[in-house]
Amino acid sequence: MSNIAAQRIQREFNEVIKSDEAQKFSIKLEMDGSDFRHINGEIAGPPDTPYESGNFKLEIKIPDTYPFNPPKVKFLTKIWHPNVSSVTGAICLDILKDQWAAAMTLRVVLLSLQALLAAAEPDDPQDAVVANQYKENRALFTSTARYWTTVHAGGKQLNPDFDKKIHTLLDLGVEKHQALVALSACDWNLDRALEQIFS
Amino acid sequence: MKVKIKKWTGVGTWSYKVDYDNCGICRQPFHGCCPYCKWPGETCPVVWGQCTHCFHIHCMAKWLKAQEPREQCPLCRQKWRYA
Repeated sequence: MSNIAAQRIQREFNEVIKSDEAQKFSIKLEMDGSDFRHINGEIAGPPDTPYESGNFKLEIKIPDTYPFNPPKVKFLTKIWHPNVSSVTGAICLDILKDQWAAAMTLRVVLLSLQALLAAAEPDDPQDAVVANQYKENRALFTSTARYWTTVHAGGKQLNPDFDKKIHTLLDLGVEKHQALVALSACDWNLDRALEQIFS
Repeated sequence: MKVKIKKWTGVGTWSYKVDYDNCGICRQPFHGCCPYCKWPGETCPVVWGQCTHCFHIHCMAKWLKAQEPREQCPLCRQKWRYA
């Protein structure tokens, strides 16, 4: 790895550790062993959003050409959001692509991702199914996103109705995450979810 | 008492007149040099854009090359023009 990337990451680590956001446990960075190229990040779901009280893990890969090219970031924690793939965790965010600037830092990236959770861009989707639900049925999108936060990110809001539908599918031998994905994509309509799984 | 100066050596110091201490690209201080250089000073100068932001010349050159064909300031994203 080039000198500049390693030196900068070291400084950025110190910057994040000392930041107000880190003190409040709102963002976190951890190195994967001693390798500067692999970093684990974590952001707290912003308050007053369906992601509230959840903690979302991120995989951050630093290219050798950093900071002239952006870090590669994806969600490791499964999340229901129009700009994040519910399958792969890939993120659609301009500053991680063509709007990256060399003066940006990992702290800026983590805060921008938190802002993205608070304000989705459904017209520039990474997951078309989620984006469609966001636009067509906002209330259902919100409860689905909240449910995913509880199931995958340690959120605290329960939803007995969704639990029941998941269990109906589990009883039919469907795997848990597959059941969650199918029901979420089919607006929690059991018949449609069954059709999608068994067709 | 009369003192007769036989020999003297002048010492000068200089620093860049910058608004902030570190280069926004490499995060190293301007009174040092960029990570590619060994010595600060003439061989690793600071450059200013018309947007008033400044960087090590070598860092800026690398950024402009990485960003081709666009040329924007890494801080404010205005079109980069050397001041």
